[in-house]
Amino acid sequence: MTRSLPVWWRRRIPRYRLIGARCKECGKIHYPPRTSCPYCGSNSLEEVQLPRRGILESYSVIYSVPGDNRLNAPIIVGLVNINGVRIVAELTDVLPGELSTGLEVEAVVRKISETSDTGIITYGVKFRPVLGAGSGAGQDTGEA
Amino acid sequence: MNDSMVKVYITGTGAVKIARHYPLGVRDLAFQAGKQALAESGSDNVDFVIVASSLSYLQAPQLDLASYIASSLGLHGVRALSVEAGESSGLAALETAVSLIKSQEASRVLLIGVDKMTEHPSGPTYVMLQALYDTESDAYYNIGHAGIAALLMRLYMEKYEVDRLTLAYWPAMMHMHAKNNPHAMLPFAVAPEKVMTAMPIAEPITLLDAYPLGDGAAAIVLENGDELEGRPLAEIESVISATGMPSPALREDPLDLESLRTALGRLGGLEKIDVIELHDSFSIYGLLELETLGLAEKGESAKLVAEGYFSAEGEGPLVNPSGGLKARGHPIGATDVYKLVEVSRILAGTWQGVKRGDEETGMIVSINAAGSSSRIALLRKVKG
Amino acid sequence: MTQERPESRTGIHGWGAYVPRWRLPMEEIARVWGWPPHQYKGLNVKEKSVDSPDEDSTTMAIEAGYNALLRAKVDPSEIKAVFFGSESKPYAVKPSATIVAEALGITPVTMASDLEFACRAGSEGLRASIGLVSSGMMKYAMAIGSDTAQAEPGDVLEFTASSGAVAFIVGPREGAAAVFEATYTYVTDTPDFWRRALKPYPRHGEGFTGEPAYFHHIMSSVKNLLEETGYKPSDFKYAVFHQPNGKFPVRVGKRLGFTMEQIEPGLVTPFIGNTYNASALLGLARVLDRADPGDLILVAPFGSGAGSDTYILRVTEAVKEKQGLAPRFDDYLARRKTIDYALYTRYRKILTMLPRG
Ligand SMILES: [Zn+2]
Repeated sequence: MTRSLPVWWRRRIPRYRLIGARCKECGKIHYPPRTSCPYCGSNSLEEVQLPRRGILESYSVIYSVPGDNRLNAPIIVGLVNINGVRIVAELTDVLPGELSTGLEVEAVVRKISETSDTGIITYGVKFRPVLGAGSGAGQDTGEA
Repeated sequence: MNDSMVKVYITGTGAVKIARHYPLGVRDLAFQAGKQALAESGSDNVDFVIVASSLSYLQAPQLDLASYIASSLGLHGVRALSVEAGESSGLAALETAVSLIKSQEASRVLLIGVDKMTEHPSGPTYVMLQALYDTESDAYYNIGHAGIAALLMRLYMEKYEVDRLTLAYWPAMMHMHAKNNPHAMLPFAVAPEKVMTAMPIAEPITLLDAYPLGDGAAAIVLENGDELEGRPLAEIESVISATGMPSPALREDPLDLESLRTALGRLGGLEKIDVIELHDSFSIYGLLELETLGLAEKGESAKLVAEGYFSAEGEGPLVNPSGGLKARGHPIGATDVYKLVEVSRILAGTWQGVKRGDEETGMIVSINAAGSSSRIALLRKVKG
Repeated sequence: MTQERPESRTGIHGWGAYVPRWRLPMEEIARVWGWPPHQYKGLNVKEKSVDSPDEDSTTMAIEAGYNALLRAKVDPSEIKAVFFGSESKPYAVKPSATIVAEALGITPVTMASDLEFACRAGSEGLRASIGLVSSGMMKYAMAIGSDTAQAEPGDVLEFTASSGAVAFIVGPREGAAAVFEATYTYVTDTPDFWRRALKPYPRHGEGFTGEPAYFHHIMSSVKNLLEETGYKPSDFKYAVFHQPNGKFPVRVGKRLGFTMEQIEPGLVTPFIGNTYNASALLGLARVLDRADPGDLILVAPFGSGAGSDTYILRVTEAVKEKQGLAPRFDDYLARRKTIDYALYTRYRKILTMLPRG
């Protein structure tokens, strides 16, 4: 199904930047931002930048691939917990055998859909296993 | 709850065998089921046609569907209404019909559930099925039809330390039951070990944990008990619903089917139920429903199923004698109406499939997606 | 240097590298196309980086830009220009720069554009950023080089054309990790490598890409700037040159009088192939990852068509605290996973013959 341009466009910024919404009434945070708080119904919400790192609570390797996504098969989706805020999102840069619950993951921006070579490309947050940051220079560049 | 004293009965049932009905369109299927139900009820005279359908709006778009179906049934001038609530469309239509009858806005209603899932190949169909889930959150991604259920299944397996084989007894029981269901899509037995080793569609879900893609239509005639024209098969005691979190990610415990819990609370508790038709689009949902309804402790339902507790010979209520969504089939908007047909036939003693023979009360449960909404209908045998 | 050079009012506040996860070894390409080993052994490239199917030059730029922001520690809205240099834009028409700027929180009050000059567009963006900041028009500007470089299957280019991105945040000299002491650009009309409109793969002049193009432009650019500034090769701790392969940058460096010790730390192509617009600038990022205050760095990107810039940078005290604020180039190297040619054709969408951005 072709993605609607305005439908994707109007929500692009939280999708790019992992911006959630905090309810001013009950204080709970959710992502992506909704019209009103899913917990208490208040529509008094404020934007909040979510941390980019979370824990993988569950995952699935999807072989019954929806739409024209064969090039991305299998699609891996995860349930990511960021400080108590849960997000369902695709995982990327990871092979099925490398997955396990409890894995630390981080948000990156990737293509979400590109269903034809003439249409719009939609981008948004996906999660990947965290890089081994700060490992210093000049190591492990050899053959695996 | 409607406190009207009007009683609502099912007096006619019809169901088309679920299959890949390539030669038949939505109206053809609705016609067959509708005519069967009208015939059993003894009269073509209805003042309302309510049509439950969901995926057909994406598969073969036709808006104001109920009016077109009414017309194809030859019911010119009748009042008609389309109801869409995803996988729970059938019970949503029942809620509407019961309320129309109880308020005496209608006295005879033809309720048809119809859906098509094979007008397109599976790839585009999975994209359409994604729309059952929240397209502004989870279904923004390529989760397919099974992704969310798979996330919940893994959570369940890890949280309650239930192994894959134990979970495979659900589909095995469903296939066993479907063997005797005349309108089941997959009427053959499947061993639990086969479920585990079947083609993975969304790990840990295999092909045999998931509903098949099939077309179907089922219909019932509902009547005001004070003005009965046909012979009553079952009484609709109540039908109730509740909405829930748009995504399981928003629930404190993603495995908590809170919309079903809320609906159950509205019913004000359960008396003894003899036969239950649950919503097992994926095995995990069937198991979570058993636990939400209090028929099994949390984390224990799969083991009870494996032990045969919910089978015809078991001590618990008889669960999914139809074969469930898993093996009877799950033409999305039509499914609940199949359940109504099956349970009323069991209560009326006309059911050819799995039964115990002494069923007096029946329950039908449906949820959309992972519980964006849930509905429960209670049916009672008509005495004498 | 008697007269103050405008660029010396500016410096690099943040730098960020990005290299995708997958690696395709040279021998695997040779196996598929029947090349003899000497065909690739001389390139001094072990393997090349390959992007995931859900990546393109825009997503890679976003991650490099994000890393640069982490190091610069500036409010994204203070960045007033985003230059996206690439020859593998996902859209022929529609700026990637706005996507990157939006994703990074830089929009809406900013300049943003995509630049094209084969492999040197990112460097042109860097010079433009220096100009905008040194003129006082803005405090910060971001320059990005990012490519998922195309090569026709079976062409020798395929050995090296790879994927990667790099981003720099240029700002005032105060607080910068490295200050631009001098910059220089040298361009001529030399058609050594090109891709015609609507064509998926570039063409090149084979040997013609060498002497009249790569060597002439880099040598001219570097020599002229050394002459202007009075520096000699031995004054530099690091020297980084455009890296179409692992051989050319060493050769051009030696001809100019630099040593392997100066060249090697900024040599990234042997591990990841030629990332086109990111090539030499990724080398600079890797050097900044390890540089010490006071180090003098020479960087000379090159782009076909043809032109070369030379930058002379002096590292400041600020470099040390910034180095650990974001993943380093070598962190991306460390997550490497090799793939075979079959998977490469799938990831690169060669298999389906879809146009590739
Ligand atoms: Zn709230």
